[in-house]
Amino acid sequence: MKAILLLSIIGCINCVDSLSDTFTEELFLKPLYSKQIYAHLHFSTKWDTDYVIESFRHTHLFPRALGEIIERHNVQELHLSLTAGLWRYETWGYPIVDAAPGAELWAWFKPDTQDVDKNWKELASSLSGLICASLNFIDVPNSISPEYSFRPSGVVNQPFVNSSFLRYSALPREIVCIENLTPWKKLLPCESRKGLASLLNSLRIYNTRYHSVAIHLRPVCRDAECELTSLEVQQSVALVYDYGILGTRNWSIRQLFGQGLFGSCPLAKSSTVYVDITSNSSSPFLLIPDPDEYVTSKRGAYTSTFAKYDINGDIDHISATYIGKQNVLINSPPPLHANQYLTGYGQERGGIVIKLYNNHWESLDVVVLQSLPWYVPIYLHTLKIQSNGKQLKPLVLKYIPGKLRKRPYYLELVLRLPPQSTTSISVDFEHVFLKWTEYPPDASHGFYIGSTIISSMLNVARNFTALPQDGLTIADSFNASRSGYLVQVRTEVMVITLPTPDFSMPYNVICLACTVVALAFGPLHNITTKRLILKPQSDEKLLVRIKNKILRVIKGDTNSKSSDDSTAATSEK
Amino acid sequence: MGLLTDPSAGQGKLTKALVKYHPKLTVLLYIAGIIWFCLLAYSPLNAGTYFSENALLPGLVTSKFRDDTLAKQYYDELQYEMKKYNNSIPYPWILAKFRQIGLDTYTHNFTLNYPLGRSQKFTGKNVYAILRAARAASTEALVMSVPFRPPSNIHLTTSPSVAIMLAFAKFANKEKYWSKDIIFLITEHEQLGVQAWLEAYHNVACGQEGILEHGDLQGRGGAIQAAINLEFHHINIAKMDIKVEGLNGQLPNLDLFNLATRMCTKEGIPHTFKNRENQKKDDRGRGPYDEWCYSFRTLMAMVASQATGIPNGNHGLFHRFGIQALTLEGFPAKQVRGNHSNFITIGRILEGIFRSLNNLLERFHQSYFFYLLPSSERFISIGLYMPAMCLIAGALFIKACGTWCKLQQNPLSSSDSQDNDDNEDSKTSMKKASGDHSSNDDTQEEENFDIVQIGSIFLLTHTIGIVLMNSPTNITRFGSAYGFNTELSIYIGFIIFSLVLLIAPAFVTIRSSYKSMTVINILSLLELGTTLICLSMYNFSLGFLAGTLYVPLALLIVPSNCRLCSWVQKILWLLAHPLVVLTTTVLIYTFISITGEPFKENMLRGLVATQQAIVFGIVDSMIYSNWLYSVITCVMIPNWLCFWIALFCPSKPKSDDKQVAASKKND
Repeated sequence: MKAILLLSIIGCINCVDSLSDTFTEELFLKPLYSKQIYAHLHFSTKWDTDYVIESFRHTHLFPRALGEIIERHNVQELHLSLTAGLWRYETWGYPIVDAAPGAELWAWFKPDTQDVDKNWKELASSLSGLICASLNFIDVPNSISPEYSFRPSGVVNQPFVNSSFLRYSALPREIVCIENLTPWKKLLPCESRKGLASLLNSLRIYNTRYHSVAIHLRPVCRDAECELTSLEVQQSVALVYDYGILGTRNWSIRQLFGQGLFGSCPLAKSSTVYVDITSNSSSPFLLIPDPDEYVTSKRGAYTSTFAKYDINGDIDHISATYIGKQNVLINSPPPLHANQYLTGYGQERGGIVIKLYNNHWESLDVVVLQSLPWYVPIYLHTLKIQSNGKQLKPLVLKYIPGKLRKRPYYLELVLRLPPQSTTSISVDFEHVFLKWTEYPPDASHGFYIGSTIISSMLNVARNFTALPQDGLTIADSFNASRSGYLVQVRTEVMVITLPTPDFSMPYNVICLACTVVALAFGPLHNITTKRLILKPQSDEKLLVRIKNKILRVIKGDTNSKSSDDSTAATSEK
Repeated sequence: MGLLTDPSAGQGKLTKALVKYHPKLTVLLYIAGIIWFCLLAYSPLNAGTYFSENALLPGLVTSKFRDDTLAKQYYDELQYEMKKYNNSIPYPWILAKFRQIGLDTYTHNFTLNYPLGRSQKFTGKNVYAILRAARAASTEALVMSVPFRPPSNIHLTTSPSVAIMLAFAKFANKEKYWSKDIIFLITEHEQLGVQAWLEAYHNVACGQEGILEHGDLQGRGGAIQAAINLEFHHINIAKMDIKVEGLNGQLPNLDLFNLATRMCTKEGIPHTFKNRENQKKDDRGRGPYDEWCYSFRTLMAMVASQATGIPNGNHGLFHRFGIQALTLEGFPAKQVRGNHSNFITIGRILEGIFRSLNNLLERFHQSYFFYLLPSSERFISIGLYMPAMCLIAGALFIKACGTWCKLQQNPLSSSDSQDNDDNEDSKTSMKKASGDHSSNDDTQEEENFDIVQIGSIFLLTHTIGIVLMNSPTNITRFGSAYGFNTELSIYIGFIIFSLVLLIAPAFVTIRSSYKSMTVINILSLLELGTTLICLSMYNFSLGFLAGTLYVPLALLIVPSNCRLCSWVQKILWLLAHPLVVLTTTVLIYTFISITGEPFKENMLRGLVATQQAIVFGIVDSMIYSNWLYSVITCVMIPNWLCFWIALFCPSKPKSDDKQVAASKKND
């Protein structure tokens, strides 16, 4: 009895230890330019534990499944996103979390990791099982270690960043659906039974223009002194609803998610809804019920206003009604946006063009990262960078040519974009033949080239909503003026057609080969089985010979055949 | 079947048969080819169209398009706006409409530097809007295009297509099932606008550098999978003509054509091909001959338009970029009553087509790319029509082979061994014969053909062809210095060029050598045959028509003793000169289409039309890289010239001729 009591006390000590974690849930709603509304659900779990020695045997709010994976594969930081659709930077501004179309995964491994490649492959496979995505296709031939584009977003205890512990890979073809969302929801403390996560009604959220689920895991400082670290996992869902698809521009929680709020997650420290009402000045809307609080945030030189709702059971519904006629607004694009496209036609050569738009009045330093699969061999000598018609020299150019079936092509450029400029980076590639087993079943669909990542530290926070690097929650992004605001713009995904064989060809080959064999067989059989006999040549005329032959057939003379053959034989001789 | 048998066995016999029967055989082959082709129009001999691509799922969804009143309203507004813009697209109105619908809207500027005559510049501006598919990363796109025709344009109006396009865009933007972006494109200056837009989209110049400045696009939508071009001439469409022929005779995938016909049938709008309706099933009263006749005329209409290589709609320029495209041209009923519109049906056809295209998982690749259509429900695949062409071109190869074998045979030995069937004997006799003559007959050695001379003739004629191809810019510059206009100076320039070339045989030094001249003939035959086969692989209609015209004339070219015969040959061959053929065709066309005018006026009109046709051909090759002009100047004219030289071949060397030569030498 005593022993049991003792055990339970030890257990309790343990549970006290694991109670040192907090969970916050937030919903951020922002009407975008003209016809869309951006809904971002942000779930953040912070666990005050020593990341280095933590074994993840006991977890409280922190998802244990994820913990085990990162522990086994020696992961320092993990960033995973699954996205359907493309974030339209030009009209929507910057999102809270950038994500490339399809699946995107990058991870920093701990500096004591022995075999990074092996761990990376296994990590991808484990995550693939965890959230039912095809991440198992991530392997060394489609992964890179970018040197400039990525920095650890959490705390590190080395003086230098060693990018050899970083692996990045994207699967632009990945199709994201409910099967990824369900396991993702299971990682949350309240799953989808309570709190804001219960809003994630699969039927509704796949009616959007854009949706992206993400998991970002990193060690962070426990306090301002940063002597101890905590482990933080941010789970987010970004959704962009379209008024056209919704059928009305007067939105409400029920309209967006198909149901009202079912109170907050009891495990959450706070459960809040923020509505960005900055656009209220140009196209006013009325919020019902009245918000608990108005928050004004000054970030850089830009002021935004938010309506804040605390969800503690009494609010189950928030709706907005627009007042007055809908105005067509003039779009003010964000300081930096980009897109990419293919050039050329035919199945021999092609080109990739990346266009960077700097709408800022100052020059911008950007890092452009493009990784191309090994079957898209690019030629570095064709790399042309032009800005407003003038040649632009990259400050840094890093290029690792790919290897057939072994390594992707990797190109990273550091550019200084002139103010108010359009810069185009173009590079040519060649189409290659694959082995016939390397084609996917839908070979004529084409092959995907992932998006380019353009990273930059902006010094203005126009259209900027992302969290600061030290922030954990959306509330941390209010009044978070910093010296620079990191944006990582992702471009479109491209699809190219490689020379595709006609896959009915094997059938044709079989037919042809059989015909050839059959044709060869006849004479071969003749030569090997028949005897050559001399026979005096007859001087009969053709007609007489035919007549005789017919007569012989009619008479049924059996000798006729052999005599005919011998005639042929003699003449051939 | 004798795959493993000794190739030398029996060759003598075959060769002899070839030498003996090849004139008859060639005629037979040619006629067989023509008959084969003609029979293909008979429906039991061709196949019914069918869908190969299962992903299209045509017509399986319930049509939801209901915005016909909106389309009508757009149409009325557009009519009002068009009055203000007599010569261009009403840009502000169209841009505003697209923006209101909520699409990404852009304009595209392009410039044409007219290559001929005095340097002139034309500018144009296209409008396009992109419907961004939800949850797609702009990797693939579909295009709906309309060639905008301002009121001052001589062609039939296309403004109803703009109205229905806008209404469809508004309808489609509300739907969430799109997996591909839809680009709504309104182009100016007919094909030029589309060409410039496509070049800008793919950032390449298809024609000669510096002629069409394609400009740049602000927005794109990924790889374009298919394009539908709309030319609706009225708000109440009674029949829909589906046009497929593209640049250089390229055709869209048959699945796309089938899709368009199927959707028209589903919505109850009769569709036509080459403006000819399909024969009705219940029309049993007509005999098989009438049925064949009807199909054959449809088929020939397609062959005629495909052979020119000029697209018969804006869809034709998409094909080069691997984009399957066709044009839907809507005509009103003969008697138009009231102001009634059937936009709802048209909208539903478009909805059906685009939703099917949206279903596509892969690019169009399943069905045929090479086919001929005797009606919109039947097709002739490449496997059926190519044999006809092979028979026709085969005649040339057979003739070349026969002539070559004849040339190889010693005339004396062949006469000696006429009654001797055995090869060995003939060989010995040949040896004997040569042995007999070797002492006093040096001419035998001299008679061998001169490969260097022949080679240089071929090289020279083809160089002339290339010079001719590149001459128009200089000719027009020269012409304009003397005050001639572009058309006339090119026409006259070409005529002078051709006339000068006619005296080419006078400079051929090996003219008197029978063997050399025959070898020229053989090589020309081979070249013509190869050209025809290659042409018909790419643009069957052109290859076939050229084959039908040139093969019999080329077969006629045999050296003969009869002076009249050789004159007839020469005159016939002169008539086959591409320039003469073009002029005659255009003149005949003019006389057929314009009746009741005085002869002189028609003649003049025809000549002007010919000149224009040449200029159009040249400009097309420069802007769109239509290769009809290049093929004619680089291959057909040099080949014609080679045959022309071969026509001056002396007749078969006679023994007395030889003796004369020998005696001369002795002297």
